[in-house]
Amino acid sequence: MRQIALYGKGGIGKSTTSANLSAAFAEKGLDVMQIGCDPKHDSTRMLMHGRWIPTVLEQMYERKDLEMDDVIFTGFGGVRCVEAGGPEPGIGCAGRGIIATFQLLEKMKALHGDVVVYDVLGDVVCGGFAMPMRDGYAQEVYLVTSGELMSLYAANNICKAIARLSQRSTARCRLGGVICNSKNMDNERELVAEFAKRIGSKMVEFVPRDKAVQAAEVNQMTVIEHAPTSPQADVYRRLAGTILANDDLRIPTALDLDELEKLARAYL
Amino acid sequence: MNWKNLPGHIYESRMAGCTLTGALSVACFIPGAVAVVHAPEGCVHQTFSMLHAMMNDCDVSQIPEIIVSGIGDREVIFGGEDCLTAALDRAAALNPDLIFVVTSCVPETIGDDCGAVCSRHPSADKIIYVPTSGFLGGSAKDGENAVLTALASCVPLSQAVPGTVALIGEKNLESEADQNYAEVERLLARLGLRVTVRFCRGCDAATLMHLGTAECFILRDDRCRPAAEAIGERFKRPVIPEFPGGLSGCIDFLKNVGHACSIPEEKIASAVQDELLYQDQMLKKFSGLTKKTICLGAEPFAGTSAVAREAMERLSMQESESGFPVKLPFYLPVGAAGVEKMLYLWRRAVNNG
Ligand code: SF4
Repeated sequence: MRQIALYGKGGIGKSTTSANLSAAFAEKGLDVMQIGCDPKHDSTRMLMHGRWIPTVLEQMYERKDLEMDDVIFTGFGGVRCVEAGGPEPGIGCAGRGIIATFQLLEKMKALHGDVVVYDVLGDVVCGGFAMPMRDGYAQEVYLVTSGELMSLYAANNICKAIARLSQRSTARCRLGGVICNSKNMDNERELVAEFAKRIGSKMVEFVPRDKAVQAAEVNQMTVIEHAPTSPQADVYRRLAGTILANDDLRIPTALDLDELEKLARAYL
Repeated sequence: MNWKNLPGHIYESRMAGCTLTGALSVACFIPGAVAVVHAPEGCVHQTFSMLHAMMNDCDVSQIPEIIVSGIGDREVIFGGEDCLTAALDRAAALNPDLIFVVTSCVPETIGDDCGAVCSRHPSADKIIYVPTSGFLGGSAKDGENAVLTALASCVPLSQAVPGTVALIGEKNLESEADQNYAEVERLLARLGLRVTVRFCRGCDAATLMHLGTAECFILRDDRCRPAAEAIGERFKRPVIPEFPGGLSGCIDFLKNVGHACSIPEEKIASAVQDELLYQDQMLKKFSGLTKKTICLGAEPFAGTSAVAREAMERLSMQESESGFPVKLPFYLPVGAAGVEKMLYLWRRAVNNG
């Protein structure tokens, strides 16, 4: 079983990338599960045709006798969708919520299949949000970033977490590569590729900004389902293929802040 | 692990319990008040088992009214404000005079706005919110101080009533508290003063609200200094820093309290004279110890050996390592009565060889 986690700054397009990636894996006939690890619980909506599925945490505290069907829902291409859920902004501890979700999924023996895609909010890497990387869950991390400094900054922070967690005896998580989800900036491809190189990794895909994404979202579908013949759908399929073939997993070296800023300036 | 090797504050806080222990040791023993603890049940269990052991020691059999909000995993994740509201509802249903709300580490860590919950509760006017925050707020003594300070800030300001004093910080679960109180009352009577409020020992809410009428505040000991300073500052009245320790301590106490309450000099001088005579009479009971040589053990509480040596000097006793081994009292002996008790024990040790 491949366990893949997509981390990156909020709003960078992780959920879109994750859902399309899951859809592309499913198209290849793989048994796929996608777990949204963000209290916003919007990771799997496009796979579920716009349905907000009940979250694990909601269910967990309403009922005692939870079964897999209560928290795992089947979406496009048979992708098994899970949303961790969590508190409203400003209260409680969402990180603890992620931990509780994993403990339940583990107890249910729900983590199986060919590929599990973890879609993780990544600008807050406390212990809770690092959970998918811990204890052997997500073994391959892909950083989703654009060329904007703040999203590179978040990606860089996740490199620190991977480096730290890789020292734990139970963690096997490594960096698989960087996905550039373009914001249509000048020199963005070069900048993100250079960033990936400097942290000791590589850019695995450049996902261009494309109207097909918005059109699919408006229709509450993934691009793979809504515009299967579009060039953007092929980008996601290529990304899925690259990830499946990727065996180059590394422990990254995070840049220091000055170096990161200098890099971003150089490609302005 | 050798606790003594730990840095001072860690050693102290770990040994004394968390702020909940101190806070509840005050808040739980006010007749008519209910304590609400916003915490996981385990915090209250562990705190209460400490208090229970102390209650057994002090022969206190009153079971305090404690309501715990019972924060669990759900509250940690989604916030615990609703379960605090539910606990306040349960407390309010008992129709108490006061509701104390103290907090553990957990709501502090997850960021519950407990102050806001308390202030929008229908019983807000009865609620005294004390953000103790478990270990994050310090140790037991910080918890005790926090409750005293919070309670004092609810007491109305008023004119001082001449001839009255208030005591601050007597421990509810302190051994010999009543004997110590009797000794302080005896000394105050020499100056024509009386204690109107014991803040907070066995006083109901209505009595506690008269704190502001005292001419001066007498602090039990240094451990409640932060609360006493805040109280002195709020009411703009003098604070006497501790109960009298030993014989000369009684004399200093009479002078300091007398001045703080503007007692005429002649009255203070006559009180001092009477006290010296009283002490001589008391020491006469122990004339059998005169010229005896004793060996003082280790000092369990700062200041106890100074009090003991003063009594020895007044009885012309000697100190030597080869003398009769005697024990120093576990706490600083309060006034002449504390010294008298110590001398009884010495006499027994000396007479029994
Ligand atoms: S230290 Fe914190 S967790 Fe422990 S008993 Fe105190 S409040 Fe509870």
